[in-house]
Amino acid sequence: MSNTLKTYIAAVRATLTAAMCLENFASQHVERHNKPEVEARATPEVLLAPVVISRNENEKVLIEGSINSVRVSIKIKQADEIERILCHKFTRFMMMRAENFVILRRKPVEGYDISFLITNFHTEQMYKHKLVDFIIQFMEEVDKEISEMKISLNARARIVAESVWRNDLAGRFRFG
Amino acid sequence: MPTATPDVHQILWGVPVTCYAFNHDNTKVAVSADSIDVQIWARRNGAWEVESVLSQHDKLVTGVDWSAATNMIVSVSQDLNAYVWQHELSTGNWKHAMVALRTNRAATCVKWSPLGNKFAAGTGAKSICICYYDESQDLWKASHNKKHITSTVLSVDWHPDNVLIACGAADMKTRVLSAYIKSIDPKSGNPVWGDKLPLDQLCAEYKSNGWVHGVAFSPSGASVAWVAHDSTLNVSTSKDSFVTVKTGNLPLLSLLFISEDRIVAAGHDCVPYLFERRASSWELVNKLDQGPKRSVAANSAMLKFKQMDSRAQANADTELNSYHQNTITHIRPYAGAATNITHFVTGGVDGKLVVWEL
Repeated sequence: MSNTLKTYIAAVRATLTAAMCLENFASQHVERHNKPEVEARATPEVLLAPVVISRNENEKVLIEGSINSVRVSIKIKQADEIERILCHKFTRFMMMRAENFVILRRKPVEGYDISFLITNFHTEQMYKHKLVDFIIQFMEEVDKEISEMKISLNARARIVAESVWRNDLAGRFRFG
Repeated sequence: MPTATPDVHQILWGVPVTCYAFNHDNTKVAVSADSIDVQIWARRNGAWEVESVLSQHDKLVTGVDWSAATNMIVSVSQDLNAYVWQHELSTGNWKHAMVALRTNRAATCVKWSPLGNKFAAGTGAKSICICYYDESQDLWKASHNKKHITSTVLSVDWHPDNVLIACGAADMKTRVLSAYIKSIDPKSGNPVWGDKLPLDQLCAEYKSNGWVHGVAFSPSGASVAWVAHDSTLNVSTSKDSFVTVKTGNLPLLSLLFISEDRIVAAGHDCVPYLFERRASSWELVNKLDQGPKRSVAANSAMLKFKQMDSRAQANADTELNSYHQNTITHIRPYAGAATNITHFVTGGVDGKLVVWEL
């Protein structure tokens, strides 16, 4: 299974590097405004065709580009109900603090779990190749984090259940 | 191929060089540092210092040009205005004259014509403003080229005959248009681009598969070249056909003819590339930046463990192996005749101006 991960990550990295070629673009629609065109979507000729890179039907990345901004949306693998809840809480925690995160979007795009919005102002302040590295690292680690959280959740549940059982047993079946 | 190491000037820190223009003897440079002002930097004792600040604009200054012929500076901004600045020798100040572009969208780029009597400003209103000085009214006036353009103009360049311009726009087309002003220009025709050339006459239109970021005419005016977002360089010598060079790299943003048969172009890859004419087509010859020589080979092991300890970073290389650390936005000539440019300068998003020798 991990041999598809490498090609998946390589494809995402190549597409992101190309999509992050951004420049300042004043709004053609409203005078004196400067908005991320991928969000405003008012000028069709400056939008690039969206690209979806899927590893399987549960894991995919949507990259929507434009002349001054790119939106990257990730669907994280969630195999069962517990992982779904954990993923939701994890991404909600981050999205509520989107301002400190700088490139995170407050709401994910429809059908995805988390979205990043990178504008030309971000690529002017930060290295483009490090931004790409960051997103790739995020994708690789979020799966690990959710698995770790699930394992620790299960371990904790087991400990709690054992101790309740033990106290209960001790209480009920003691003679005298 | 450049044998000398390029001259790197880090004039801005943490801020991109949005646009810049050197004066005729390269002693001063007018720079827009991602701001609403134009700063004039002068070289004093080997270091660059701010000599004057030209502040009249309210929003980001997107284009600056310094005419070698008249020593006037023109600046355009996203606040829909353009100003022409003249240097007063007596006080050393720059006097501004507002140019009413009569546009309702941001101006994106500006270039003085070769004789310095007109300038062309591209705008987001899908037009190019050709501005000239009206002696009788003591004003700068603007006429518009807007019949044929269907999206924001991203770049303009003048033909050496002072009448034609080439422009690249976000509708993925490059056009050669006439910027003939009746009161200023003598009647002219052109063997390649056409005989009847009234204002806004479309001489040629070329389609690409990406936004056209940069256009340039060759020193004789016989060829026009442009770079587009589909990572190609295209050159045309006639009204109908053009040659495409596909590069497997990130898109180029700006280009310069260093002679009739050689072009230097640079963009999101942060390095300049050299293209040459071979028979009837063009090809990518080389990238001109082999990277600064790193003398840290001996210390790299120690540096690596130091980084792992202090910063928990296993990977120490954040920097790119090139002189520019971020996108190169503009390439301009620095020294040499137009037909054989010996030095060119690149300005980038990393705040550096680098002078390259060929």
